[in-house]
Amino acid sequence: MPVDPSDRAGDELLQRVVDELRHPVQLDDSVDAAALERIRRAGLPSHAPWRFRLLAGLAGAALAAGLLLAVLIRAPESQPGPRGSRAVRLKLVAPASSRVVVVGDFNNWDPAATPLRGREGVWTVELRLKPGRYHYTFLVDGRKWVRDPAEPPAPESDFGTPTSVLTVS
Amino acid sequence: MTLGYNELDLPVPGSRRQSQDQRGRGLSMMSDSDAVLVARTLDGDLDAYAKLMARYRDTFGAYALHMLGTREDAQEAMQDSFVRAYRALRGCRQPERFSAWLFRIVVNRCRTMQRRLKRNRRFAEPLPEGVPANGDAVASLEWREEIARALARLRPHYREAFLLRYVNGLEYEEMAGLTGANQAALRMRVKRASDQLRELLRDIHAG
Repeated sequence: MPVDPSDRAGDELLQRVVDELRHPVQLDDSVDAAALERIRRAGLPSHAPWRFRLLAGLAGAALAAGLLLAVLIRAPESQPGPRGSRAVRLKLVAPASSRVVVVGDFNNWDPAATPLRGREGVWTVELRLKPGRYHYTFLVDGRKWVRDPAEPPAPESDFGTPTSVLTVS
Repeated sequence: MTLGYNELDLPVPGSRRQSQDQRGRGLSMMSDSDAVLVARTLDGDLDAYAKLMARYRDTFGAYALHMLGTREDAQEAMQDSFVRAYRALRGCRQPERFSAWLFRIVVNRCRTMQRRLKRNRRFAEPLPEGVPANGDAVASLEWREEIARALARLRPHYREAFLLRYVNGLEYEEMAGLTGANQAALRMRVKRASDQLRELLRDIHAG
């Protein structure tokens, strides 16, 4: 399959990489034999009697209830974050916006992970990050990418998206 | 998720083995669809499950090899995946799409193993025995090693996205269903992986 030019990755170099990675690979037949041996020892796919399944279901429900209770009891406590991490406050002034999120290396570029809290047009969020360099950008109202003007721009952009580099020391 | 493996521009899994089997066992092998083999497995026929494993071992094993970096780890991942898939086989609600179901297990297994592997532990596979070490072979091996090193330097979720998109040929919608990440994040990961690979391999490629 050719590298998708719409992702701006369609150059000769990446095509060579993809071609190499698509070469057939042959694993040892012993993989199957070892798996079969483990399967034979363990028996047929799980098909537990209904009484066992009922008991397992009840036990699972009790466990889930206990975990939920534990979470509710612990919820008011502050989250300390990863060991050795530092508090970092990000801010974006966007008065006409209804929703701002930040995506970056620290949250796997997941727009659902880190929404900012808005107050009178100033959007903020506090993160706890380990020392390192992080690329990130803001997504405003689900459609507009805005680089953080408080931090230096990344040397390259993602999909033409302006990106900043945050250094946590 | 619609992981239509045979609809993708990929070698048909197990095609080499099937042609060998057809010579030895007749054409009945061709009619053994995944759904038929799954049903037979659930009836206690382990030979049927062995055929399913043979059908997908190398194709999905290639993904595991590129994700984990060594043949040993890839084989362990595939063995674990086959055992887990067998144990959970009654939960495969669409046996005709067994390959997509199994691939999800492989991807998840690679993720789990990746977490306990150290980065940069990757080494390129040596040339198979009997391959003459002429200039082309050496150049090919070096190129393969450089790709392996470059892949190893990517963050695992960048590497995963790049492989799923370009090597396995999945659409972003399929990738989202498989990984649980949204499409915007996946596009970003693929782009970042592409940029980093380009940067890491530029000098070798130019030479």
